[in-house]
Amino acid sequence: MKRSQHRSKDTKRRTTLTLPAHDLQHAERIARSRKVNLSTVVAEALAEGLRVQAAAERSEEVLNAYRQALGGFSDREAMLLDGIVLGPPERRR
Amino acid sequence: MIDPAWGPLLFDASAEGWLMRSRDPAVHDWLAQYLRRHQVNISVMTIVERVRGYALLWQGATEDRRAAIEAARVAYLQQLGRVQVLDAGTAVVAGELMAMLPHPPTPPRRAHRLVESRQDRLARWRFDILIAATALVTRMRLIHNNAEDFETIRGAIERSPDRFPGLGPLELIRCTLVV
Repeated sequence: MKRSQHRSKDTKRRTTLTLPAHDLQHAERIARSRKVNLSTVVAEALAEGLRVQAAAERSEEVLNAYRQALGGFSDREAMLLDGIVLGPPERRR
Repeated sequence: MIDPAWGPLLFDASAEGWLMRSRDPAVHDWLAQYLRRHQVNISVMTIVERVRGYALLWQGATEDRRAAIEAARVAYLQQLGRVQVLDAGTAVVAGELMAMLPHPPTPPRRAHRLVESRQDRLARWRFDILIAATALVTRMRLIHNNAEDFETIRGAIERSPDRFPGLGPLELIRCTLVV
């Protein structure tokens, strides 16, 4: 089994990033006010950004599946898919 | 307007269909915003209705159309979201409602010289009771485009709260009012 599969979600890696100066200053202000280090603030912001991005991707996937599942049908066919079964009137005796 | 953050909602087939077929960009935006926050919750009865619909379409289709219908059915089944099954509590609530409301509140549907049979109308009414019971037991708001049926059910629950102890009211959202 590969070593990466054993890595826990909380494992940390050191890296170098180039970030917009304004955002970095903002993050530093937050870190000072919360008395945590800059890495903590940047990690939280990144996690939240990734969560929003994943939600948007999931939303788009569901919408695409819905389009494929329910689009391209006539009104009568759409009624059938919504649970309304229409047919020729029964002959009355 | 309904805040997309409200939820999760239980989607009736009528609401799923209306929301997806709407040509209003604001409706599509609402649905996209909702889906960023919540899963689509449906009753297992909605799957019964949809799969029966796909099967009937497939049976009546020409050979070249059948592949598209099957692809649509597979796409639907691959993104069901969260399916609420029928449990004992839901069955009890549905049984009470079916005894209180044995007949559908409106006649069979008609369109383009076609008509819904009485049996199919009764089956649809009972499906709607099962879906409303699911919403009540799971305490989810029910989003729908079938006011006749669901408002009738809501009214019956409000008139007889002693038959539904600890449950209710049935909260309904008409999908046409989301934006």
